[in-house]
Amino acid sequence: MNDDYSSKWGYRLKWLYTLLVVTTLMLPVFFVMYISFNENGFGARDYDFTFEWYGLIFSDLLMMEAITSTLNLSAITVIFVVPMGLITAKLYKITQYPLAVISLMLSPLFVPSDILGAALLVFFKNLNGAFTLFGEWVGVSWFDTWFDLGYFSAIVGLIIYTLPYVFVVILITMGRYRKEQTEAARSCGATAWQAFWHVEFPQIKTGVFSSCAFTLILCFNEYTRTSLLKGGFDTFTTVLVSQMLNEGMSEQSYAMSSLVSYIAIAIIGSVIIFTLVRSERLERIARAKAEPLMAS
Amino acid sequence: MSEKNEIAVEVKGLSKSYGPVQAVKSIDLQIGMGEYFALLGPSGGGKTTLLRLIGGFIRPTEGQVFLHNQEVSHLPPNARPTSMVFQSFALFPHMTVEQNVGYGLRLKKVASDEIKDKVANMLKTVGLDGYGERMPHELSGGQQQRVQLARSFVLETDILLLDEPLAALDANLRRDMCIELKRLQEKIGMTFIHVTHNQEEAMTVADNMAIIADGSLVEMGKSSDLYENPIRRFTADFIGENNIFDGQVSKIEDDVIHVDLGSSSIAVLSRGQKTSVGDKVSISVRSELARAIDTSTSSTEPLETLSGIHRESVYLGLTTSELITLDNGQEVLARQISDRYGGHTIANGTSINVGWRQQDGRLHIS
Repeated sequence: MNDDYSSKWGYRLKWLYTLLVVTTLMLPVFFVMYISFNENGFGARDYDFTFEWYGLIFSDLLMMEAITSTLNLSAITVIFVVPMGLITAKLYKITQYPLAVISLMLSPLFVPSDILGAALLVFFKNLNGAFTLFGEWVGVSWFDTWFDLGYFSAIVGLIIYTLPYVFVVILITMGRYRKEQTEAARSCGATAWQAFWHVEFPQIKTGVFSSCAFTLILCFNEYTRTSLLKGGFDTFTTVLVSQMLNEGMSEQSYAMSSLVSYIAIAIIGSVIIFTLVRSERLERIARAKAEPLMAS
Repeated sequence: MSEKNEIAVEVKGLSKSYGPVQAVKSIDLQIGMGEYFALLGPSGGGKTTLLRLIGGFIRPTEGQVFLHNQEVSHLPPNARPTSMVFQSFALFPHMTVEQNVGYGLRLKKVASDEIKDKVANMLKTVGLDGYGERMPHELSGGQQQRVQLARSFVLETDILLLDEPLAALDANLRRDMCIELKRLQEKIGMTFIHVTHNQEEAMTVADNMAIIADGSLVEMGKSSDLYENPIRRFTADFIGENNIFDGQVSKIEDDVIHVDLGSSSIAVLSRGQKTSVGDKVSISVRSELARAIDTSTSSTEPLETLSGIHRESVYLGLTTSELITLDNGQEVLARQISDRYGGHTIANGTSINVGWRQQDGRLHIS
């Protein structure tokens, strides 16, 4: 909080600094949006406004398939990783060895992504080889494709990548939760599940939903591990990177990138606005209820 | 048989260990139905652990818990006929007062109209009529504690466990809530088990109490008995303001035990306790029964006296405490009604005697 004796210019400079940082970070995104409406594409001298590239997004089959794969990978990863993160965060809260839990959970963050991706690639290749050999030994071909590179291996890579983040995000919201409330619910007759669902979950759901959104964004961004582990299909990021390296991004890619940014900004913006409006509304209600008491 | 003679809670050989640490050591205890029972003791003594063992929040390492003569040691808290009030209020912050109080009834699938009626009645009982729509954060500490009580009462369980329920309240509110708790308990007729480290709180509310320290049951009985006639030295040291003298039995004459304190000797009634010459024992005297006596005056009744130097008078309003250092260096307190000396104060450094009637001393052999 700004006190009466602090410099007003210091306060203004802090605001200016914050705005500058955010603008610098967001400027490239806005530039991509700007290009996506140019009929003449990236690098052209003339700028003619058009929606044409957005119309052509759905006709770019490679991009559409990549987006579909990315969405599938992200959704499946969320389904697995969020409950995993939640369970581990609950373990952290009750264990006598919290340091051990946090060290284990955060350890994937300390391994560079390309090394972890390569390690997983070697692991799956060997595992696949071992199962294929086992299949040959027992005379069946059933095991041959179990650990082929594909969706499964890519999802394992994404889970390993995103689990520490999910764990930390949920743990932060769980930090304010007091276990006495679970005990109070149990004392009212609730089973362990009912106590969790009725009392604990409503108080940590912000963290759970935030971790879902965070996982989706991380999965969308992820390149190194996914490109090593995906096998034969493409994702949005691998297509973008491949285009950039080989022929430069197509105009549809700019439109698609912008579209993804619009959706992300709209979702996150709505959540923030909803939260602020709700908090203001609750505060107004609380003030209205408190006024008669204050007056008496 | 009257209700109070029936057993609501019984624990047999109850122990709880955390690795090498024994939080509760083989406790045996019986609490009558409809009784207001306090578990009193110093912090970290194991009283909350004992309460949580009764409530089913932790599993005993050894021993059994019986509620209404049914063994419940294996049952989780939601399957026991108990409800609990927590020190930290533990209201559900995302629910209104009404939803908090009605939560247990909703779990029992009681019809919503009935829930509404019961919750409204219970809020009236605890003095929170009209507060049903409020959120917990819109209530004061005392009101939140009343909501907790209403949430427990409405379930109509037989046994209410209160874990330091007033510790988070300020002193005035705590006093009011003590009286309120006692009134509610008498009105509803439930068995209350109240954990506290505050002896004044325990004395105010409890019919009977148990002193728990170092994981063990030190002594149990009526609140007035534990205050006036403690058996154990620890109880005398913990409850009330007692002067305790340690010594050795030097002579036994019928019911009178003479104890050698080193520099002097005092006598005390044995009250049926068996002891022999040479045994190490203690004598306790409540500070309000000890008197500071000017050496120049003689007492009209026979007193056990010890000589010392007056150190300080501490005026406490209703009473004044006289701090006296005995010849052996031990400090003794004599507390009197403030106007006892009619405005005459004892000068610091004056030689003085401290005395009490023989029957006011209590012998402790353990």
